[in-house]
Amino acid sequence: MKKTVNLAATTRDRLGSRYSSRVRASGGLPAVLYGHGEAPLAITLDAKEATRHINSGGRVFSLAINGAEQIALLKDLQFDYLGDTIIHADFARVDLNEQVEVKVHVKLVGEAVGLKSAGAVLLHPASELTIKCRVTGIPEEFEVDISNLEVDHSIHVREISVPEGVTILTDPEAVVATIHMKKEEAVAEAAAAEGAAEPEVIREKKPDAEDAKAGDKKDAKGAKDAKPGAKPAAKPAEKGKK
Amino acid sequence: MPRLPKRVKFRKEMRRVRDRKATKGNYVAFGDYGLQSMEGVWLTARQLEAGRVAAQHFLKREGQLYIRVFPDKPISKKPLETRMGKGKAEVEYWAARVRPGTMLFEIGGVQPDLARRALLRVAMKMPVRCRFVGRRVTV
Repeated sequence: MKKTVNLAATTRDRLGSRYSSRVRASGGLPAVLYGHGEAPLAITLDAKEATRHINSGGRVFSLAINGAEQIALLKDLQFDYLGDTIIHADFARVDLNEQVEVKVHVKLVGEAVGLKSAGAVLLHPASELTIKCRVTGIPEEFEVDISNLEVDHSIHVREISVPEGVTILTDPEAVVATIHMKKEEAVAEAAAAEGAAEPEVIREKKPDAEDAKAGDKKDAKGAKDAKPGAKPAAKPAEKGKK
Repeated sequence: MPRLPKRVKFRKEMRRVRDRKATKGNYVAFGDYGLQSMEGVWLTARQLEAGRVAAQHFLKREGQLYIRVFPDKPISKKPLETRMGKGKAEVEYWAARVRPGTMLFEIGGVQPDLARRALLRVAMKMPVRCRFVGRRVTV
């Protein structure tokens, strides 16, 4: 569990993207504080300091808003289009004894036995777990030992041991780590070559079937309209000759 | 073999704007490390395939490669020495719409150094500036 981080904050009066941009340009980080049935409060943090603490795993913050202390839990982050810079942070008001839902990263440790064979790939689909615990007891990360993991075997969420007071909300059957043998590339290429042609157009009428249908209709219509003994209609090619 | 869609709703498509910033598909979601485009481009199926081959040859049978974009945009081109008009030309190739920030490739299950070297080789095949990125902070 990481210690509570102290951050100084000031309230923001002017809201909206234009004013938020100005805050960022002046070295601030726009943020919002909400929860506990109180009105949401727009605040500004020091961008450099806040980003440093967030990137080092800080979750619970003690915000000094215009002198008044408020314990807050980091709920959400917004990034720029490249995913580097934090452009906005959401904080929720919490009590230190409150039960909260948070996501915690899963770290795989050890050299897996199954990885020694060629073509074996280690995957960890559930790289983070949603847990419920007290604000003061949020683990930094879960360490999962994979040293006994063999090929085609998996470690599930239910097999992870958690500290007391922590409940995992993620599906117990979700796979945390698995090792599988990679398919031969040639097989994949052959499969790709098989399907390589022109894509099928959805709802496009087939030309042959359509022509045949149209031809039949035309013949039927011509036969119906034609009076006994009447001359056949002039061909389009003859019309063009003029 | 370059990839292309199995079924499409329409054979040809309008060109549209392509240099807006990425608002989705712009972070590492499946693997551990990724190759992010810094520019917007229509990435052709051949370029994508060249990147995939470069990565697979380098990784051999290690790690898992994820391709995050798919060439589902038909690009048509008039033949040479053809007068304008007479309708839209036939489809020449297929391309993926890539915006600045789009994640192109991801690699999982390998050491960071190996992933970096593999994705550097992929970047050499790309027609845009790219960069190597890791996962975002978990909240």
